[in-house]
Amino acid sequence: MTDPMPTRFALAALVLSCSAIAVAYALAFLPGGAPPWAAWGLALGSAGVLSSMMALGATRGGRLRPMALAASILTFLVVGGSFGAALVLPPNEGPRAVLVLGLPLRAAIVLYGVGIVPMLFLPLMYAASFDADTLSDEDLERVRRAAQERGA
Amino acid sequence: MTGWHLLQGTSAAMRHPAIIGIAVFYFVVVSLIGVWATRRTKSASDFFVAGQGIGIVTLAVAAMASTLSGFAFIGGPGLVYSVGTGAVFLVLAASITNTMGAWVLAKRMRLLGEARGLLTVPDAIGARFRSPAAQGLSAVAILVAVIGYMATNFLALGLVIDAMFGTGLTLGIWLAMLVTLSYTVAGGILAGVYTDLFEGLVKTAASVTVFFFVLKAGGGMEGISRAIAAVDATFLGPWGKMPALSALSLFFVFGLGSLGQPHVAHKFYMLRDPRRLKWYPVLMSTAMALTLLLYVGVGLAMRAKVASGAIPPLVRADDATPAFVLGFTPSVVAGIVFAGVIAAGMSTVNSFMNIGAAALTHDLPRALGRRVGDELRWGRAWTLALSLAAVLVAQVSGTLVAFLGIFGYGLFAATLVPSLAIGLNWRGATREGAVASIATGLGLTLVLETLAYFKVFSLPGGVTVSGLALLLALLAFFLVSWLTRARAASQLDADVRLVMEV
Repeated sequence: MTDPMPTRFALAALVLSCSAIAVAYALAFLPGGAPPWAAWGLALGSAGVLSSMMALGATRGGRLRPMALAASILTFLVVGGSFGAALVLPPNEGPRAVLVLGLPLRAAIVLYGVGIVPMLFLPLMYAASFDADTLSDEDLERVRRAAQERGA
Repeated sequence: MTGWHLLQGTSAAMRHPAIIGIAVFYFVVVSLIGVWATRRTKSASDFFVAGQGIGIVTLAVAAMASTLSGFAFIGGPGLVYSVGTGAVFLVLAASITNTMGAWVLAKRMRLLGEARGLLTVPDAIGARFRSPAAQGLSAVAILVAVIGYMATNFLALGLVIDAMFGTGLTLGIWLAMLVTLSYTVAGGILAGVYTDLFEGLVKTAASVTVFFFVLKAGGGMEGISRAIAAVDATFLGPWGKMPALSALSLFFVFGLGSLGQPHVAHKFYMLRDPRRLKWYPVLMSTAMALTLLLYVGVGLAMRAKVASGAIPPLVRADDATPAFVLGFTPSVVAGIVFAGVIAAGMSTVNSFMNIGAAALTHDLPRALGRRVGDELRWGRAWTLALSLAAVLVAQVSGTLVAFLGIFGYGLFAATLVPSLAIGLNWRGATREGAVASIATGLGLTLVLETLAYFKVFSLPGGVTVSGLALLLALLAFFLVSWLTRARAASQLDADVRLVMEV
């Protein structure tokens, strides 16, 4: 059975993301524990898993609509970018730390960037595209007709 | 995992008339909802999926209430107090998971439920793969996790009731069970959903109110951060006091694992109008964000108070919330919070009572090729039996409760995410892949958690059992589905294919 291109792309991204996480986990089994850069596998892998699952779920009728594609890419950029920034920036959480919205910079990037920012755009993108891209009255009618035919 | 421990140190303060009055009021409201729902529960569909008759606001708040167990109010703040920002990684993905869940699961579960008249989450797996084996195996996984969740929550509720009313732990556990059972066994999930709605509102009100007092007591977020940073720089680092790998591993498990939580996925069947799913992410995300303010705020505020010398270090981290609300908020607010703690435990337990009973009444008999005649009557009987079993586990063995309570979330994730979340969105998945992934998730979780619990073997730092089991279950699902891909088309019924395509 051949899957449509968006599904194949989302599955490939999902498998790739899982592989990145698997490499990070495998590195933890090394003598002396995981090297610091192993965290990149989980940082980018986790961002990739969530955004590719989103793309997989949003694909319908063999197509991934622009709003869902944008939501998926934005999620990867925001989550991966926030974790990446936290890994790259030098530690500065001491008494003289620069605070952003009440938190040290790196913690603010992670907690606000991953914990708050996606909530500001994802639910609205989903709602805005729902009627056209997710479930229409016609879709619902088709499913109900199929259920009736099966029951008949 | 609830993380609740003994609250004896605060029990005298918890017996304030305002606190007890609010708790009694809470129990009265829950009982009235139970009576109302009992009168409306006339069929197995009413009992297990609320007759597909609930609205989107009720769905979202109830899903939030059953997702955030007592851990969100007691264990979670305690963990933040202990390890700082790293503990937030358990809930960090909530900003994404509700929208992801809407795209991946909500529509397809709701439509499949309607097309096939489904009652349970294993039903969806069975219908997707035309596989009684996959349905039965997923029901077994659910049952194992359900007993653990119920036992830990009964124990935790018993501790709170004992602390508030001085009943003694044994009577407290039985009272918690009897109250929850009374409305669940009679009113089924209909009672569960509407008590969840009430309990969710109580939890949200408690969380928002307490966060206001957190900011007031700590001098705002800046005051809290400055106080902590003066003595412990790593506490407010991006991963807190955890290694980056451990914190990110939590994010992975709790982010992707959210798609495998049956007490949330099951609720999609209950929605009256599937077109209202449009507002599910907005409502659920808002409810989750508001209710998690307490989780994040209290642990940080208590750590700041300790850092500034205002209070001595807590004896137990899990005392963070009781100590904060009793020390820094008025009695009425403390009463709402403790009612919220009870609400959190009961709303989680009633969901698990229902899906556990459904597994025994519906899924396992079907997997064995049998049908139960009167599912409503048997559903009630199994609810009672499961509750008694969980109470006995809670009473007999604290060690067993701790062990079972550890891995519920991870077990659900490892066994259900591949076959349910990916299976409903990938036509190339096969029943062999589904069975392999469920067996891998179940086997690995049980074996590795047991070995770790008895200290025979433990995974290296940064690798969690739940993370590894979820990862390997996913890889087993992809690999076996790919190896058996020639059979995929023949395992997909036309109506299921339609649901997967719209």
